[in-house]
Amino acid sequence: MQIPTSLEPQRPAAGRSPADPAGLAVCARGLGKDYVHDWTRKVTRGLDGLDLDVCRGEVLGILGPNGAGKTTTLKILTGLLKPTRGQAWLMGEPVERTASRRNLGFLPEQPYFYDYLSGLEYLELAGRLSGLDHSTARPRAAHWLERVGLGDRPRLRLRKYSKGMLQRLGLAAALVHEPQLLILDEPMSGLDPFGRRDVRELILEQRARGVTVLFSSHILPDVEMLCDRVAIILGGRLARVAPLDALVADAGGVVEIRCASGHGFELPGECGPIERMERAGETVLRLADGAGVQRVLAALLRAGVPVRAVTPQRHGLEALFLREADAVDAHSTDGAARRSA
Amino acid sequence: MSARSRALTRDGRFAAAWATALATGALAVALAHTAARTLPAPRPLEELAYYPSGRFIEPATLGHAQSAADLAWLRAVQYYGEHRDTDNHFARMAHVFDILTTLAPHFTAAYAFGGFALAQEGRDFAAAERLMQKGVDANPTDADLAFEFGFLYYVKPGGRDLERAAEYFERAARLPNPPPMAARFAAFARQNAGELAVAYALWADVRAHSPNRYLRDMAEREMDAIRRAWAARRLELARRHLATPGVQLVR
Amino acid sequence: MSAFVIAHNTFRETVRDRLMAGVLVAGAALLAVTQIATPLALGEGRRLTVDLGLSSISLLGLFVVVLVGTSLVAKELDRRTIYNLLSRPIARPAYLLGKWLGITAALLALALALGGALALLLAWRGWMVSAASLAQGVYLAGLELAVVAAVAVMFSALSTPVLSALYTLGLYAVGQWSDDLRAFAAHFPPALGRIVGALADVVPNLPLFNMRTLVADGRPTTALHLALATGYALTYVACVLALGAAAFERKDFK
Repeated sequence: MQIPTSLEPQRPAAGRSPADPAGLAVCARGLGKDYVHDWTRKVTRGLDGLDLDVCRGEVLGILGPNGAGKTTTLKILTGLLKPTRGQAWLMGEPVERTASRRNLGFLPEQPYFYDYLSGLEYLELAGRLSGLDHSTARPRAAHWLERVGLGDRPRLRLRKYSKGMLQRLGLAAALVHEPQLLILDEPMSGLDPFGRRDVRELILEQRARGVTVLFSSHILPDVEMLCDRVAIILGGRLARVAPLDALVADAGGVVEIRCASGHGFELPGECGPIERMERAGETVLRLADGAGVQRVLAALLRAGVPVRAVTPQRHGLEALFLREADAVDAHSTDGAARRSA
Repeated sequence: MSARSRALTRDGRFAAAWATALATGALAVALAHTAARTLPAPRPLEELAYYPSGRFIEPATLGHAQSAADLAWLRAVQYYGEHRDTDNHFARMAHVFDILTTLAPHFTAAYAFGGFALAQEGRDFAAAERLMQKGVDANPTDADLAFEFGFLYYVKPGGRDLERAAEYFERAARLPNPPPMAARFAAFARQNAGELAVAYALWADVRAHSPNRYLRDMAEREMDAIRRAWAARRLELARRHLATPGVQLVR
Repeated sequence: MSAFVIAHNTFRETVRDRLMAGVLVAGAALLAVTQIATPLALGEGRRLTVDLGLSSISLLGLFVVVLVGTSLVAKELDRRTIYNLLSRPIARPAYLLGKWLGITAALLALALALGGALALLLAWRGWMVSAASLAQGVYLAGLELAVVAAVAVMFSALSTPVLSALYTLGLYAVGQWSDDLRAFAAHFPPALGRIVGALADVVPNLPLFNMRTLVADGRPTTALHLALATGYALTYVACVLALGAAAFERKDFK
């Protein structure tokens, strides 16, 4: 396997130097995609200079508004789109080779299927096309159909499936050949809370088996729950990528202490600004600076105040995301107001 | 990945596909040419030929009888040409023209062409006669067709049928928009068939109505010859010896 | 091989389409109708039945190609079912090959079924027809359909179902005239003649697969004819599919 010799300056992804792609589950360097309008020949930059490294066994979430380039990135990785610039590798294989997809399970956004097939037949087809032989494909198909909760009606034609059922089937199709890398585009879309829970469980299960998972989502709570690292794509570029903890820790955190009200106590000084509120039979103290938490707690305990909860308030991914988006907007040349796509 | 290995993949596959297309395409063309050379030439009319009759075909054309007739016409001409150039064997020609004229009964060129082709190269005068009769029946006011029918008899291989020729020439002359030579051909045919009285009347008509001075003079001359023949009571003086028509197929 | 997996799936898709059942019924009905007409045929009943029977295989097969074949790939592109396939380790040319194999298998099955029905009908009416001749006629009709199917698959990969249907039908019609084109080319001035001749070479040489006359006369054709027809069909199909593969290779699936 050759070391990539891109002409573009290498931007190391958070903490990693450009490495032999074979060691990484996904490696992208300088990916760019231009869309040329058929008639006007106007060029739109869908993706520009994206570098990404995904280690084996990690779960990476990709966030971004509609039209930012998430789906474009995923489609380039899965061979459905040809990048205009740059290169990418999956498990060490360049994405131009069909071999790169041997160990890949892909769930496209809004998966569509052959409605004349039954669920079992479809999974068997998927398995065989991903390299399973005839004798293995059938039992695996049955197993995964069962696993996603569709096993009770294996002969039902896909045209009778509901949206949620189709989404589950898509996931099963991505998993039937037990790949080492999962790329999921909006895996939770169209699912009710039970469905989302099931998908989360599946992803965690795969992660426990050492499978690398790359998924894009709008739903920030899901990302917070599942991911080791988060990549934020805005305007066709990678804005931030970092471990989840680091990202939200960056945001700095207010700490909230809830204690019983009706007790008098004195707050120590030098704890930074403390906000005090009475709420529903409780006193809520908000410390802007988490460093003073220990001193305040000591003071409360000395005063005999029952402490109910000590909760670090993370800014959360949403706030971080919106902040990044604003930062990108501030730097963008035309200064257009950000709209939801 | 080096530029070279990238070429082996995406662009390489594209180039390989084109190369395959060109190679297999060339081979296909070679095979087609071999087939054209070595296999017996498909007879285009054979498909039409064994349909039992034009009457049956017409419903099958789903309203496109005229287009079908046009196609049939093209094929008929081709058929004629092919066989004329090769074996001079026109076995199916009568049948084909029958179908063609059933599909397009007013396609007078088809009757004329078919009639002469059958009579001459096809050596089937009876079929020619039937075809022309069909044409004249379907187009009773077509003077040109009547004239052609007369001419068919006039050049009948092996022996002109002057009476019948004259009959149709006269008929043509009486119809609206007659071909200019109908009257004089009628006169000529009658005269050489020995029917001098009728001929005389016909020449008189030509002399009276022809706009062409030469023709009027010719009519006058012929009338003169007839008068002399009558006077001498020797009819053969007014008759010309006409050669017997035959068909010579020159390659 | 993934092409075979796709072929099997395509065959299944074509056969499960209600159209196929309809076409089989239509074929049977056509054969029945010919029998009503045979008394009018003045003794040519056997000829009529054979010819109409073979023609119906070609025409009904063409019907299937135009309705199913031209949307085979286009439908997948439109409904995005193709993402689930091409994100797997399948080469794009293998995908097209599989599509063609599948629909051709279905067409050959149709040809066999209708050919068998025709043979039964002839036997029932007591008309003797050379079995070899009939079998060859059906085989060549099947080859013709295979060629037209390749054209349909290629257009389907490049264009919408409606346009693909039009192009395929157009090429079919001109293909039936390829012999005439070649003959005309000889009569034109050299420059134009070369263009017309080239056109005659590019369109599929469909008269090569037509032995209806011979079958109606009960005569089998030569081994040379069968060999040339088979070779031509395979090379033409390979050429057309390769062109489709080249275009498909460049395609972005947005």
